[in-house]
Parts: sequence; C-alpha cells; structure tokens
Amino acid sequence: MSGPSEMQRREAVRIEGLSKVYDDGTLALDGVDLTVYEGEFLVVLGLSGSGKSTLLRCVNRLIEPTEGRILIHGEDMTAATGRTLRRMRSDVAMIFQQFNLVRRHTVLTNVLSGSLGRSGRLGSYFLRFSEIERKKALEFLERVGLEGRDQSRADALSGGQQQRVAIARALMQEAKLVLADEPVASLDPALRHSVMRHIEGLNRDEGMTVMCTLHDIDLVRRYATRLVALRAGRKVWEGTADEFDDETFLEIYGQEAEPAAEVA
Amino acid sequence: MAAVPRDPISDVQQRILERQNTPWKKGVRRLQGLFVDAVLILLVLLMLEFLALAFSGRRGPTGLLLTPEEILDRLTYPWLALAAGFLALVWNLFYRAIGTSPGRALVRGAMKEEENLPWTQTSRGWFSVLLIQLTFFTGWLVTEVQVVAFLTKFSKAQDIVRGLMNPSADVLHQGLILLVQTIFLAFMATAFAIPIAFAVSFLAARNLTRANFWSRTAYLVVRTLMNLTRAVEPLVWALIFISWVGIGPFAGVLALWVHSVAALVKLYSEQIESIDNGPVEAITATGASTLQVLRYGVVPQVIPPFLSFTIYRWDINVRMSTIIGFVGGGGIGYILKPRVDLGAWGEVGTLVILIAVTVWMMDIVSAKIRERIV
Ligand SMILES: Nc1ncnc2c1ncn2[C@@H]1O[C@H](COP(=O)(O)OP(=O)(O)OP(=O)(O)O)[C@@H](O)[C@H]1O
Ligand SMILES: [Mg+2]
Repeated sequence: MSGPSEMQRREAVRIEGLSKVYDDGTLALDGVDLTVYEGEFLVVLGLSGSGKSTLLRCVNRLIEPTEGRILIHGEDMTAATGRTLRRMRSDVAMIFQQFNLVRRHTVLTNVLSGSLGRSGRLGSYFLRFSEIERKKALEFLERVGLEGRDQSRADALSGGQQQRVAIARALMQEAKLVLADEPVASLDPALRHSVMRHIEGLNRDEGMTVMCTLHDIDLVRRYATRLVALRAGRKVWEGTADEFDDETFLEIYGQEAEPAAEVA
Repeated sequence: MAAVPRDPISDVQQRILERQNTPWKKGVRRLQGLFVDAVLILLVLLMLEFLALAFSGRRGPTGLLLTPEEILDRLTYPWLALAAGFLALVWNLFYRAIGTSPGRALVRGAMKEEENLPWTQTSRGWFSVLLIQLTFFTGWLVTEVQVVAFLTKFSKAQDIVRGLMNPSADVLHQGLILLVQTIFLAFMATAFAIPIAFAVSFLAARNLTRANFWSRTAYLVVRTLMNLTRAVEPLVWALIFISWVGIGPFAGVLALWVHSVAALVKLYSEQIESIDNGPVEAITATGASTLQVLRYGVVPQVIPPFLSFTIYRWDINVRMSTIIGFVGGGGIGYILKPRVDLGAWGEVGTLVILIAVTVWMMDIVSAKIRERIV
C-alpha cells in the first residue's frame, strides 16, 4: 500500500481546524488540518513541545479539542458522546511511550483488556473473558514473541517486552487505526527495531492505519510512508518519505524553535 | 486591570480569553479576594483591640480585672467589621501602590513583579507575620496559659500518679474480657466501613469527577457530607446511637463505623487522586465503559494502599473504642469511667495499662502488616 496513487485513497482520519488551548493557557495546537488515508503509516514530526502528543490524544479524545473537527472513517469523533464515543474509541488503538500496562495484572489480562470496548459483560469486572477471547489473546502474545509469559505479572517484564504486550493489546482491540506516541523512546536503541517491526506488522498484515510520533530520524526514514511536521502547534510541512530530505530536516528542526506563546 | 502588553496571541487564544474573562466571572473573583481580605483584616483588628483591652488594666463591674471571656464579649465587632471592609477595599483598589493584598494573591495570583520576592519585601508577607504573631499572643491569653502552675504545682497530681503506678488486680479479669470486646468492636466497625467507603471514595476523588456536571455535583455533595460526618466526634455519634439501639457495644460499633467511613473515604480518595494516569488512559482508549476503566485502570493501583489504610484505621478504632465506653458504647471504657469518677486510681491504673499494651501491640502488628503490603 505504499504508492498513494495506486488505489483509490479512502480517508481514515480527517482533521479540520483543530486547536487545543490547555487550561493554563498554553496553545498546543493551532488550526491543524490533516488527512490520513487508510493503510498509511503516517509519522508526525516536530520539536519537543510542538504538539505531537496533543494531536494524537485529540484523535481519540483522551484530550478534549478546543476547536475543530475530527472525522474517523467519515464519522464525527468530536461530536460523539457516551456509547457512540466508546464504540468509536474501540476502533482506535493507542500505544504509549510508557507502555501504560496495568502493572499488577498478568500479561494475559493486559492483552485481554484490549477487548473491553466490545465486552460490556459482567464477567469483565471479575477479569473473566470468554474462551474465544482468551485463545485470541494467547495467539497474539505468540505473534509478538511472548509465548509462555501470559501468567507473568506485567511489571516483571522488561521495557521492550512490555511494549510488545501493549502491541498485543492493540491487536486484541481489532482496531482500524493505531495511534503510537513515541512507542520506542523509552527503549534501548537495540530493541527499537524489534518493536517498530511489530507496529509495521499492524500496518502491513492487519491493514491498520498508523499515526505515529517518532524522534529518531533513521526510524522515520525506515518506516514512514508519509510525514507531517508540526511547529508551535501548526502544521509546517507535509510530504512522502522520499521528499523528506536533509534540507527539509533542517527546515523543521534546524532553526531555533520559538516557544509557543502563552496566555495569562 | 489594564492589559499588560504581551506577545501577539493567536485567534483561538483570543477567543478562549474572552470566554474565560466574562465581566461576571471577573467580578466574582474580585469579590472573593475582597472578602478574604476583609476577614483577615477584621481578625487583625479584633486581636489588636483584645490585646489593648487586656493590657489597659480596665476593670469590670465587679471591680476585678476583665477576664479574657469578658473581653471577647466586649469587642466592638460591628465597627471593626466596617473598618475592615473599608481597609480591604482600599487595599484592593490601590494594590499597585501598596502591594498585592493576601486575598487578591490567593484568588488571582500576585502581581508579576512581586512573584519572586522574599516575604520581607512584600506587604502581604509582613501582614501574614503580624497576623500569626497576634494570634499567638491572643491565644496565650484566651487559653489562660499558666507557666508557673505547670512548673511548680505537680504535687497536687501526685495521688493520681501514685495510684496509676500501683495497679490493683481487682479489675484485671473483667478488664481482660472487656478488652476482647473492645478489639472486636473496633474490628466490626472497620469491616462495616470498608465496602461503603470503597464505593463512595471514587465519587470523592477529584481526578475521576471532572467529566461532567453530574460527577462534579456528586463530588461536592460527597465531600461536604463526609467533612460534616468527620467533624462530629465519635463520642457524639455514640450518644446518638445509644438512644437509637440502646447502651452496649453495638452502639459503639455504629459510632466508630460512621466515623470510619468518613475517614476512610478521605484516605482512599486521596490515594485515588495520586494514581498514575497512564493505565487509565490506556483502558479508556480501548473504548471501555467508565466502570471498566475504574476496574482496570484505577482499582489495581489502589488496592495495596487501601489495605494499608484499612489496617491503620482498625488500629485507630481500637484506640477510640476504649473511649467510646465512657458514654456507654461498650468496651473497656465502660468500667473505666466510674473508677475515674470515684478516684479509684489503682484500678484505673490496671485498665490504663491494659489499654496501653493493646494499643502498643496493635501498633506493631499493623505497622508490620502494612510494611509487607506496600
Ligand atoms: N496537560 C497540559 N497542561 C498544560 N500544557 C500542556 C499539557 N500537556 C502539554 N502541554 C503543553 O502543550 C505543548 C505541546 O505539548 P505536547 O506534549 O503535545 O508536545 P510534543 O510535541 O508531544 O512534545 P514531546 O516531543 O516533548 O513529547 C507544550 O508547550 C506543552 O508544554
Ligand atoms: Mg509528546
């Protein structure tokens, strides 16, 4: 799915005029327009504080946008509430820099928690899941190379292993879109490719659209199909991986960054 | 307030600012600051008048020096309140010249140029020190502190101390039996309190109740109710429940139960407020329902500290249940009170030692268990 022109491109996410002002007055996003197409591996670039995390978190409404609209597969995410919001969220998996596993639960339960969006059953309050779901979860654990670790406590695993559990959780969620916020930033450089390849697997094998923030330019060049750059909350560049040359790099990162203006 | 020139701000920020700073909200904040200042200044004025009267040597109708209570009765409250209001108004109007007032600083923050000054260079710093000093001196007089009596008149208490040092064996048997009752009483009160406190504490945690109007209302109602409950002493609750279910240990259980619920809700909810938000976000992102987010994102993080707090609470309840008996709520206090009234200090000594040993052992046991859990 690399060549965007090869097939008719369907919109996975469409962001229109998205702005976020935090309670303390920090302007984190300032009128961002962005379209992500199905099957893309979109990487969001930008200096620290440019608003990358805020952008991703607005997509599944972990953060309430201040202004603007987000459409996911044509459906308005910003207007969704209650049951609709939960259903739409269950189509969007998220992978975090700090993994965010439930540390005291087993690896298996952590993976199974990915299915909470579709299992409102009473059993889930007692950490009970159907046999089918358990089978699936074990299969996903195997896929990320953690077979046999299903009964370990999550915090007994190394960082790289924890992130792979988080990826299995995303698989379990059977989402159409994956948001990954610095998925490898707290990992050993040697482990980064192993985790990134699993995320690439979500994209290639499962057909999930990926929106990912990355700091490491080598990783960006290796995995991204398209790139977007933010600065001080504004979109300043957009292009394919091929177009991302050294000149562009300097444009995005080179000059001294201006801190985002603050309101009293 | 005149707008301080700033970097150009974006359109969104401009719109936000306009939404936040409606004249109505601005007015409310001004009034809040003014009110706080008026109260603080009134306190200072009242204490100044109190000290002035106390040291003026003024005599009351009986010809004796005024007692502190008589002075409190004579302070010119309405006039001082008026004066305080006026001074607060002046301070709030001319704060640029005088320096930010305490109320304004509390509600809206201090002026930029004052933010990093040490307290000796701000007027509200000096004001605070004056307030604290006045409170200390006034407090000394109001509570009738008598250093001399404390240091020289120990002999009057000697009888009691001697009795306590020579415990009599007469009440040992009955004391031990009631001690067992005391420990069970504390245990039952704690056990009954756990499920209710657990359920309510989620509504009393700020970080879980920001979502909408209803959860914010629930937060306010629960907090208020719990604060009121905690404000009433277990002894008073015991009196209420004694007339409700009759004299005996069950009244004590109920009294400690009510108090424990309120205390545990406070401890539990503070623990909930300090959890790592990461797992909560991760579970929310799966599309889980609010209850599922609590079950997976919050509960696993708070269970060990909750256990620890609960054991600590049982420990406190054992201590309190020795007193509950004073008014008829069961436990060892029930036989302690009449012996205190009769001055049977030897028997009182026995009971006090029993209580002390129990409390001491509970303390060690609960500390050990809590060490293991956390
Ligand atoms: N909860 C918050 N409250 C107030 N301001 C915030 C909050 N979260 C982020 N910000 C601010 O919003 C701006 C954008 O932050 P964001 O985390 O989106 O940047 P980022 O591009 O992800 O940076 P990094 O690369 O360091 O992760 C920054 O100025 C940041 O300080
Ligand atoms: Mg970030």
